[in-house]
Amino acid sequence: MAKSDSSKKSVKKEKEPLENQPEPDLSSDSDLDEDSIWSDAVGSSDIDGDSSGTSEDDVGGNGEMDSPDDGRDFSEDEGSLEHTREDRKDGNDTLQLVEESDSSEDEVAPRNTIGEVPLEWYKEEEHIGYNISGKKIKKHARKDKIDSFLAGVDDSKNWRKIYDEYNDEEVELTKKETKLIRRLLKGKTPHAGVDPYAPYVDWFEWEDKGHPLSNAPEPKRRFVPSKWEQKTVARLVRAIRKGWIKFNKPKEEPQFYLLWGDDSNAAENKRQGLSYIPAPKPKLPGHEESYNPSVEYIPTQEEINSYQLMYEEDRPKFIPRRFESLRSIPAYEKAVKEEFDRCLDLYLCPRARKKRINIDPESLKPKLPSKKDLKPYPSTCYLEYRGHSGPIKSISVEISGQWMASGSTDGTVRVWEVETGRCLRVWNVGEAVEHVAWNPLPELPILAVSAGYDVILLNTGLGDAEDNMRIKELLRVEESPLTNDDGNKTSAVSWLQHTKLDGIRLQHFKAVSTIEWHRKGDYFTTVVPMRPIFFVATKKNIRVYDLLKAKLIKKLETKLREISSIAIHPGGDNVIVGSKEGKMCWFDMDLSSQPYKTLKTHPKDITNVAFHRSYPLFASCSDDCTAYVFHGMVYSDLNQDPLIVPLEILRGHTSSYGRGVLDCKFHPRQPWLFTAGADSVIKLYCH
Amino acid sequence: MEMSLIATKAGDTGLGFRDCDAKNLPLFIFSSSEMDTNGSDSSRQIQVRFVTKLEPPLKAPASSIAVPSYLNRMGLSEIVNSLLKSVSSEFEPQPFDFLVDGELVRMSLEQFLLAKGISAERVLEIEYIKVVAPREQKDPCLHDDWVSAVDGSDPRFILTGCYDNISRIWKAGSLCTHILEGHTGAVTSVSILNTTGVENGNIRLATGSKDRTLRLWMLDVAGKVDYPMKIGAYKVLNGHMASVQSISSAPLGDKICSGSWDCSVKLWKVNDSEVEGDSVSIKKRKLVSDMVEESQAEIEAMSSFVGHTQCVSSVTWPELETIYSASWDHSIRSWDVETGKSPWNMVSGKVFNCLDVGGRELIAAGGSDPILRIWDPRKPGTLAPIFQFSSHASWITACKWHSSSQFHLVSSSYDGKVMLWDLRTAWPLAVIDSHKDKVLCVDWWKGDSVVSGGADSKLCISSGISIQ
Repeated sequence: MAKSDSSKKSVKKEKEPLENQPEPDLSSDSDLDEDSIWSDAVGSSDIDGDSSGTSEDDVGGNGEMDSPDDGRDFSEDEGSLEHTREDRKDGNDTLQLVEESDSSEDEVAPRNTIGEVPLEWYKEEEHIGYNISGKKIKKHARKDKIDSFLAGVDDSKNWRKIYDEYNDEEVELTKKETKLIRRLLKGKTPHAGVDPYAPYVDWFEWEDKGHPLSNAPEPKRRFVPSKWEQKTVARLVRAIRKGWIKFNKPKEEPQFYLLWGDDSNAAENKRQGLSYIPAPKPKLPGHEESYNPSVEYIPTQEEINSYQLMYEEDRPKFIPRRFESLRSIPAYEKAVKEEFDRCLDLYLCPRARKKRINIDPESLKPKLPSKKDLKPYPSTCYLEYRGHSGPIKSISVEISGQWMASGSTDGTVRVWEVETGRCLRVWNVGEAVEHVAWNPLPELPILAVSAGYDVILLNTGLGDAEDNMRIKELLRVEESPLTNDDGNKTSAVSWLQHTKLDGIRLQHFKAVSTIEWHRKGDYFTTVVPMRPIFFVATKKNIRVYDLLKAKLIKKLETKLREISSIAIHPGGDNVIVGSKEGKMCWFDMDLSSQPYKTLKTHPKDITNVAFHRSYPLFASCSDDCTAYVFHGMVYSDLNQDPLIVPLEILRGHTSSYGRGVLDCKFHPRQPWLFTAGADSVIKLYCH
Repeated sequence: MEMSLIATKAGDTGLGFRDCDAKNLPLFIFSSSEMDTNGSDSSRQIQVRFVTKLEPPLKAPASSIAVPSYLNRMGLSEIVNSLLKSVSSEFEPQPFDFLVDGELVRMSLEQFLLAKGISAERVLEIEYIKVVAPREQKDPCLHDDWVSAVDGSDPRFILTGCYDNISRIWKAGSLCTHILEGHTGAVTSVSILNTTGVENGNIRLATGSKDRTLRLWMLDVAGKVDYPMKIGAYKVLNGHMASVQSISSAPLGDKICSGSWDCSVKLWKVNDSEVEGDSVSIKKRKLVSDMVEESQAEIEAMSSFVGHTQCVSSVTWPELETIYSASWDHSIRSWDVETGKSPWNMVSGKVFNCLDVGGRELIAAGGSDPILRIWDPRKPGTLAPIFQFSSHASWITACKWHSSSQFHLVSSSYDGKVMLWDLRTAWPLAVIDSHKDKVLCVDWWKGDSVVSGGADSKLCISSGISIQ
């Protein structure tokens, strides 16, 4: 040991000037290295070489040096015993140190209380820190190198001393400490008493404990389907079938709401189930409500004056004005009044909520086909028939559409050529003509004229020679008992008995099924072409008679003030009725005795209504100098209602003595309309 | 005797002779060197070259000149006149019409080029033709009643039908030489059977009337007569059940077809003398009455074409084998003469009053609306009219193609106007406004005149129409 000490000293002596002294910051590790170097050197008794190199050798070649180490360990074990004895000998200080090293460092506060701060902060100071009581700990006076060297030479334990920079003192490691360090360096447990390979102690009993699983047979219920599960499944199935359980439930999205939006119809309000009325949102103020708006917002004096002419509601509520500054803005003059109004509103506000239906008026309009699809219909006047000198009361178009007859209040009956507007013949009846009607048979061009109390049958002479002869005979036979009319050259045939007149006519023209007569009086009669039905229009109602059975079939209630005209659809099931109050009623005979539609069209009396024979058209003419043309489609399907579309207003006639258009008739084959006016002109409206 | 030439709707009237004063003319001519100096002028210049098919006195030098683009027809006309003046000093100025790419110029040159998308950079070739417009309005021939029919297919005379049941022959446009009496209804249609009898001076005529008959007349037009000679019909064609509305003679003149209110088109043979005698005797035996004169022979219709459902208002027989008929049932049909079948049927929306086939075998028809429409029957698939002329204000009563020109036609209307049309422009070439009332019939006469009769009982003759 002594030998090794001396060799160690020599090493220390060489080393200290190199490492310890110039570098006081060196941690204790470097000192430990020195120790290991020393201990290695003891084992190998080789002092030479670099210290770091030897330490590496020590780490790397541990296995090689096993045998000498073991031997030394053994000796050291003995030494440790010695060491304890030595400790006891050394005295109290070292004993305390050992105890301290065993216990945790926190228990004994370090002398210096500066904490873990860089020590160089105190480099310039005279003290190294403060003790617990706050007093400065003075730095020891520095030994110069010679002194320290000399002290090292004198002190044999110098190599064990480490300078503790923190506390500014030298600490001398005890033998135990060096031993501990040495063991740690070798990777062993710090204390030699720990046995890492202690024998295994079997603390728990395990023998004679038997098999952990039961050998009993499986119970029956393990093999029988579970009733409880069956019930549960059935319940689930039922729930799924009934829709109580739903799969693929849509994930509820997080609900956001429009912070600044209108909350009048928010779902929140609906959920409350209350008739929640949100407060009206006032319009946000714009630039014009600024106290100093731009010039373009300021109305001129004329504009302000013009506001006075507006209705109260239309007037702008706020008139922008300019003020120099906020200070100059006057008090709000309407403040009191508006408060009062508000109070009134609250006081008089109805507590019951008024239900108001918001319906777009456009949607209430029936869906009608466009006029373009309903062509042709009369729209433009190209031809006029001039010649009469008085209002034309009645016109009638021959069945072929070649000729047209008209009767006027000037006492004349004229026959016109439709194509050219030429007047072919004129008869002077001498009395205002009320009505004219062509015989609907094309081979019998007979014209029936009613004038005053007379009904005249005229031979127009438009047929060929044979026809003319036949007509002559016909008329002669009829008239022979009463007058000497030769039929061709006509004068008024005056009949004394009107009832007789009707009777004769009906008898005589039974073959001619559809002649239409007008008599002065309250009655119009029309014979329907398809069926033997007879219409009588009284002042307010229309009676429909069956001619074969001679009895009343139906009574149509018009609810009009006074019927002026009647026309029957060529199909026979629909009737239009014009009234003197400008209303027109469409009756669907199969439907009811009430009007299917009532059209309020004309501002004045309707003078006549007419159906077209083949085109789905009907027309009405009135004293307001207009004629209206409608599309009136009657479907063969009984379930479908007739389609009525107003098409055109035909203007052109001028008013004369308060009368306008007195008669209108359709051309039998073309979609043309003839209108006879009180201005003694007949107009032809073509498509 | 007023005559106004309304050249365009835009009021480009008075393309007159007095405006073409020789002193004013050079203003419009700019040589190319002058054009540079006038470059700052606001109007653009267009290089044009005038070409023509006219004969030398009217042939302008074929050099290109620059003209301002705002020039319209009148300005161009003045330029051409001054060019012609520079060629021969004794040239009489006259108006011209101008064609660019087969279209008549009816607006300013600039607008025209813009509308047609023609580049103004290259030299524009403008063809000029004589203006088609009547220059002279003769005294009207006065009738006793409405003039309902006119035929001017013979250059020697005009045949008119009248509502007083009489047809008349007017020679030289003013003198009534023959009066054809016999109808008991208004004459609706007249036709000259122009082939037979020319060699001996005898002319055959046919008239249709509202008394349901057609009558054939034979007369000698060559003979000089001072007073109106009354002539009776030599044949009466009975068979229609209603008024005869229109008649037309075959191209060879041996047959005649008629359309009537009884919805049929009937075909009559007119020059078969053997059948004639037999039918006379039969008819006489049948008809005991003395209404038919002894000298008249009656013949039956050769065949009857049924298919129309309403009045056949107009028939025309342009080719040997084909008859076209227009009807109030809104359709135009063509009939094969031999088979009586209708190979072509065109339905329109309006009633037809008149029909003529001409030009390049185009069908012109007018009816109960103011639009004169022209169809091409050879165009497959479509029934849309290829031209529509809509300057009239009322029903169109008659339309006639020019016999030689394939572009020109004339139409008359209830608005009292007769209009001359050219297929190359949508505006009427000229509007003859001489009638006071409805115009009922119109025809060309001698190739350069338009004769028209109307409800004012006048037959108006507008002559001096130069169609080359």
